[in-house]
Amino acid sequence: MSMEHESILSLIHFMGMAFLIFSFAMIASPQLLSCVRFYALHSLSLAVITALIAYGNHVEHLIVPAILTLVLKTWVIPQIFFKLTRRLGVHREIESYINIPFSLVLSTLLVFAAYYTTGDLKVLRPVFSNEFIPLAIATILIGMLMMATRKNAVSQVLGLLLLENGLFLMAVTMTFGMPLLVELGIFFDVLVGAIIMGIFVFKIRNAFEGIDVDDLTVLKG
Amino acid sequence: MSILYLLSVPLAFAFLSLVFTSKVLVRSFFLLGTMVLAVAGWWLVFQSNPKEKIFAFGENLMMDSFCALFILIIVSIGLLSSLYAAGYLFKEDESAIPLVKLKRYAFFFHLFLFTMLLTVCSNNLGIMWIAIEGTTLASAFLVNVDDKKSSIEAAWKYLILCTVGIALALFGIILVYYSAISGAIGDGKDFLHWTFLMEHARQLDPEVMKLAFIFILVGYGTKSGLAPFHSWLPDAHSQAPSPVSALLSGVLLSCAIFGIVRFHALTQIVTNSQFSGNLLIFFGLLSVAIATPFILIQGDYKRLFAYSSVEHMGLVAVGFGFGGLFGIYGALLHIINHAFTKSLLFFSSGHLLHHYRTKEIQKINGIIKTSPLLGGIFFLGVLAIAGLPPFSIFVSEFVILASGFIAKRFAVCAILLLLLILVFAGLLKHASSMVFGKSEQPVHSEKSLLMDGVLCIGVVLILVMGVYLPTPLNHLLQEASLVIQGKN
Repeated sequence: MSMEHESILSLIHFMGMAFLIFSFAMIASPQLLSCVRFYALHSLSLAVITALIAYGNHVEHLIVPAILTLVLKTWVIPQIFFKLTRRLGVHREIESYINIPFSLVLSTLLVFAAYYTTGDLKVLRPVFSNEFIPLAIATILIGMLMMATRKNAVSQVLGLLLLENGLFLMAVTMTFGMPLLVELGIFFDVLVGAIIMGIFVFKIRNAFEGIDVDDLTVLKG
Repeated sequence: MSILYLLSVPLAFAFLSLVFTSKVLVRSFFLLGTMVLAVAGWWLVFQSNPKEKIFAFGENLMMDSFCALFILIIVSIGLLSSLYAAGYLFKEDESAIPLVKLKRYAFFFHLFLFTMLLTVCSNNLGIMWIAIEGTTLASAFLVNVDDKKSSIEAAWKYLILCTVGIALALFGIILVYYSAISGAIGDGKDFLHWTFLMEHARQLDPEVMKLAFIFILVGYGTKSGLAPFHSWLPDAHSQAPSPVSALLSGVLLSCAIFGIVRFHALTQIVTNSQFSGNLLIFFGLLSVAIATPFILIQGDYKRLFAYSSVEHMGLVAVGFGFGGLFGIYGALLHIINHAFTKSLLFFSSGHLLHHYRTKEIQKINGIIKTSPLLGGIFFLGVLAIAGLPPFSIFVSEFVILASGFIAKRFAVCAILLLLLILVFAGLLKHASSMVFGKSEQPVHSEKSLLMDGVLCIGVVLILVMGVYLPTPLNHLLQEASLVIQGKN
């Protein structure tokens, strides 16, 4: 039993590393399609972490969020984005306010910052494992960085989804997930939000002949 | 059970409006929906005892007097907005919008009302979060009904900024849930229920609660237009069609404040300190201070009213921050008065836009000469929002300031007074240049009895509320202040 428990634990930690690496991969990928693929992998690692925690700690109600993450975030939402990028016909590189090496450096700093600020925080003693809080916070921060630095509307939505994955990891490791009703509602909001934002990306493309958000400068004052 | 009936009304009418294939039917059911909702809402609120809480759906939904007040605001402004919208969006001439868009408008309008009602009726804080995120998603399409470049930009900023803000609020909710799990005893299902948390406040960790409140304030503060997170607000509120602007400014901002106040009440009891109150005062004052210069130099009258909403939400936050029976009573009264006055102003700006085809203040002169009714109501509305007696906003501003003096926050009150005087001067300057003077522009004037009627109802309401507060409403306000103080 304890052997099994330990191997599950080390597997969870391994997936945690994968989770962080895919966050980096998302912010480092120069093309939209690869960014979406990394988002799918990011969500996959999240689904595996959730399932392993559910199995290892006998938290049955986490099984449903794990399955939903697998279905919605690794398959449905990436499919929507694949379709979106194909129909938008964006194949050139994503433009960013800062270049990729620099955004990687910034992301690394954010990870350090997340570990530094939460490392010896006495008030937070999560139900699962201490190491996942800085990981989740780092992901949230990287998501924000991605939203702030990318000029492309689709990348901004991807940044938002990355941020949401971070929040989900936070909920799972700190509290074994929120009540199921709430989790279901959040999944619903994320899915509907992704669809609505997708529709708006099209509207932006049609009106502004491009999906760079720095063209959106009509409104001031 | 009755809460579920109330919530099912807008949801049912939203989907009904997708079924019809003629404009007349869409329009009639659009109006019927808000009328039924208004009757249901008023009936639900006034037939129930304000001292009692009504639960539904496994205690996930709850109506107390605080919630009841918001139900009244949502259904009333919802009704007025839909009447106004029926007047100008559903016209039968060639320029009218196609059926598909009308159906979409009616659908999202009712869905928007549903999400706001769900927000205020949630006892489960997680469901409240889902509902607030839902309000953003439902109203994004309403902001962008006309598919113009500027409104797409506004809707995009609104979607992205509010979603990020609300994501931060979710972080706060996770912290509260964590705090309940590690501290409180009880059934895990209840851990996010506001009533449960209020009862078991002693078992929650004050430090975690403080951290959570900061995230909630930033998150829901973005949604309620508190500075410095308000940058999306003037865009979205000025680009939306006028009836939608009225709902966004008058009701939606307050619904987000509602979310903050639920957490504020909790934080106050858990930490037993003025921590959350002080934060509310700080961000409230900052909002008034940041909105003031933008009001003074504004060139676009819809943006002017949008910034005025930032100012008033700031005032409401300060009122809740001052606390005490007076402060909370004043803030609640201010939410009601602001809802009616601001929607009146957005309705009249709908008239102006229709008559003059411009949003620029400078290009409009002498409204009073070309259309005396509109000019008069518009001017009265601006005087009211600026806080002149005998209008209702003056009363609630007075109560909020008085509560500040009672709480011995003299410096805050002094700054607030100074800023309010500046705002008053700015609003008066803009309004008098628009209402009086020579009128040279060509005016596109078509009479719509429905739209003029809504304006008249609005102006009568804010005048009456200034001098007379109905006893049941007063009773409800007092009960609600007790609920927020955690005293019943």
